[in-house]
Amino acid sequence: MGASYLAVGWNRQKKIYDWFIFAFCALYLTTFIAVTALYNPDYTFETALIRSTATLAILLLHVILSIGPLTRINKKFLPLLYNRRHLGVTMFSVALIHGSFSMLQFHALGNVNPFVSLFTSNTQYNSVSQFPFQALGFFALVIFFLMAITSHDFWLHTLSPKIWKALHMFVYLAYFLVIMHVMLGVVQYETNPVLFVMVLAGAATLVTLHLVAGTKEVRKDNRIFKLKKEGFVYVCESQDVPDNCAKIFCIDKERIALFRFENKLYAIHNVCKHQGGPLGEGQIIDGCITCPWHGYQYLPQNGQSPPPFKEKVSTYIVTVEGSQVWLNPQPLPEGTERSGAAIIIPDKQIIENVQ
Amino acid sequence: MSNNEFYIGWMPKAPGGFARHTKKVIIALLILTITVGVLLAISQKKFGTGQFEFGQLTNITGVYFKEPVPAIKVMSGKDLLGRSAYITIPLIGYGKSGADGILLDLEKLQHVDLNKKEITLKGTLLYNDGKLLMQIDAADNPLVSVNKTAGENMLPLQKELGEQTIQGEIVDPKCFFGVMKPGEGKPHKDCAIRCISGGIPPVLKVTNKEGDCNYYLLVGAHGEKMNEAVKEFVATPVAVKAKVVAYDDWVILYVTDQKGISPIAGWQLVKPGSQAISCIARCIK
Repeated sequence: MGASYLAVGWNRQKKIYDWFIFAFCALYLTTFIAVTALYNPDYTFETALIRSTATLAILLLHVILSIGPLTRINKKFLPLLYNRRHLGVTMFSVALIHGSFSMLQFHALGNVNPFVSLFTSNTQYNSVSQFPFQALGFFALVIFFLMAITSHDFWLHTLSPKIWKALHMFVYLAYFLVIMHVMLGVVQYETNPVLFVMVLAGAATLVTLHLVAGTKEVRKDNRIFKLKKEGFVYVCESQDVPDNCAKIFCIDKERIALFRFENKLYAIHNVCKHQGGPLGEGQIIDGCITCPWHGYQYLPQNGQSPPPFKEKVSTYIVTVEGSQVWLNPQPLPEGTERSGAAIIIPDKQIIENVQ
Repeated sequence: MSNNEFYIGWMPKAPGGFARHTKKVIIALLILTITVGVLLAISQKKFGTGQFEFGQLTNITGVYFKEPVPAIKVMSGKDLLGRSAYITIPLIGYGKSGADGILLDLEKLQHVDLNKKEITLKGTLLYNDGKLLMQIDAADNPLVSVNKTAGENMLPLQKELGEQTIQGEIVDPKCFFGVMKPGEGKPHKDCAIRCISGGIPPVLKVTNKEGDCNYYLLVGAHGEKMNEAVKEFVATPVAVKAKVVAYDDWVILYVTDQKGISPIAGWQLVKPGSQAISCIARCIK
C-alpha cells in the first residue's frame, strides 16, 4: 500500500513473482516452438509464433481465473493472488502479440484497411460453422486491453472500486469470447482432439473451482440469525472469535467482520476498499486490520486506514452480554469511531491463563 | 502451516507454510507448462511442404498468356518420351493482390501488348505439390525483357473434358502453395477471402480417396474473373459444376454460373470420382 501512485510499487515478493512469470512464459514459448520445429520441419516461424502466443495467453488466462476461487478455497494460494495484476498484464501482452501478428498475416497488404478486413472478409455471422471467429478474438483483446490499462490503483480510485470491479468482471465475457474464438476457429481445422479436449478440460476446471468456492461462500452467507432484539442480532459467543482475527457474518446481505483485539470486539464492513478483499479473513498486524489480499490496513476502532492513507469502511455497534455477542447490522457512516465491546472473561479462565 | 501464519505481499518474506505451499504450486505449474506446450505442439496438423522464396528474386523466360489467368509458360527441356516439357506458372501480385494490375501497368509503360510474347520476368517463386507460381512486384521492376511473339508450338494445348461436378475447397493459391501454413481451412478463411478479393485467381483444391490433391483454376463461364462470386464459398466444402478444360498442365473450371457452386457437408469431400480429372490432367509431379 502506498500514499502516492507509482507505476509499480516494487517489493521483493513482486520481483520474485515477475521473474517467475517471465521464466514460465519463456519456457512455454521455447518448448512450443522447439517441439513444433522438431515435429514439423516445414513449419514457419510466423505460424509457430501466432500459435505459441495464443496457447500461452489461454493458459495464463486459466491460471488467472483459477487464482480467485483457489484462494477462497485455500488461503495458501494467497501469494499467487498478491501480484495477479502483473499476470493479467502479461497475458494481455502475449495476446497482443498473437493478435498483432495475426492481423499482419491475415489482413495486412490487402485491398482494404486490415481492421475493415477483419470484420468484412468473412461475413457469415449467421452461420455457426463459418462464423468469423477472428472478430471474437478481437473483442476479447479489447476487453483485456481495457483491463490491462486500468490495472493500477490510480484507476481503481479514479473509476471507484465499484465501476473498476464491474469493468474487471468483463474478464468472464472475454474468456467466453476466447473459448468461442478457439472452438469456431482452429478447432475446426485440427484433426487431433488434444486442443479441443484441453479447452474443455480448462473450462470444466474453472467452472468447478468457481462453483466450489461459490458454494462455500453461499453456505456462510445463508446462516440464519434467530435471536434478535432492538435491532441487534446474536451472532456468537465471545470466545468464538480468536485473538487478532475475525469471524465473518452475513446479516441482511451485509457482510460484517467481527475482530477481537486486546480483548475487545470491533465490527467493520468486510469488504476492503482496495479490491474488495475479505477483511475478515485478515489479521490484526501492528494494531491494524490487514487485508489478506494486498495488505491494505484499517484501524479496528474507526475503520480508517492509518494516516496518510484515506481509505474508510463502515463500522458497526457491538455489545457483549455475558458471553453473548450482539451486533447491530445497521452500518454507521464510513470511518465512524466506536469503542470496542469489552469481552467479559470468566474468572476461571483468567486463573487458567495465569497458571 | 500454523493457524497464526498470515501472508502479506509487501512483507519481505512469506511465512514458512505459505512458502512451502507456493513451491509445490510452482512445481505443479512447471509440469503443467511443459506438458501443455509439448502436447499442443505435437498435436498440430502437419505443416504443408510449400515454399516461398521470400527475398529471393528469380528471372524466368517464357511465353506470357493473359488468359484464362495471367501465367507464363516456360519450356523446360524434354520429358522421358522426348516430348517438349513445359510448366505453366500462374502470376500473382505483391501482398494480397493479383498480377493483372501490375502487368497492365507494364504494358502501358512499355507501349506493348505482352500477350503471347516471350518475356523475361523477375519475381519470387512459390511452389508446392507440383505447382509453381511466381509473385511479381512493381517495386522489383519485374519486366526484364520482351522478345518476339511466340510460335504456334507454344500456344496452350487445350482439351475439353466435358461438364463435371467436382467437390473440393476453394483456396487462394498464393497462400496455399507457399506463403502461409496453413493456407487453407477455417483459420485461413479471412486471409483467403482477402487474397481472392484482391485479384488472386481462386483455385479448387480436390482431395481424392488416397489423399492426393489436385488443383483447378476457377473462372466464369466465359473466362471472366469470378473472384467476388466465390468469396462466400472460400475455405468451405463445395461442389462446383463446370465445363472442364485442360490448359497444358493446369485444368480450368469454367463455372456455368454462380449457382454452379454450392456448399456441401465436409464428409462428402472425398469421393472416388474426384480422381478422374487428375488422371487426365498433366501434372509435373
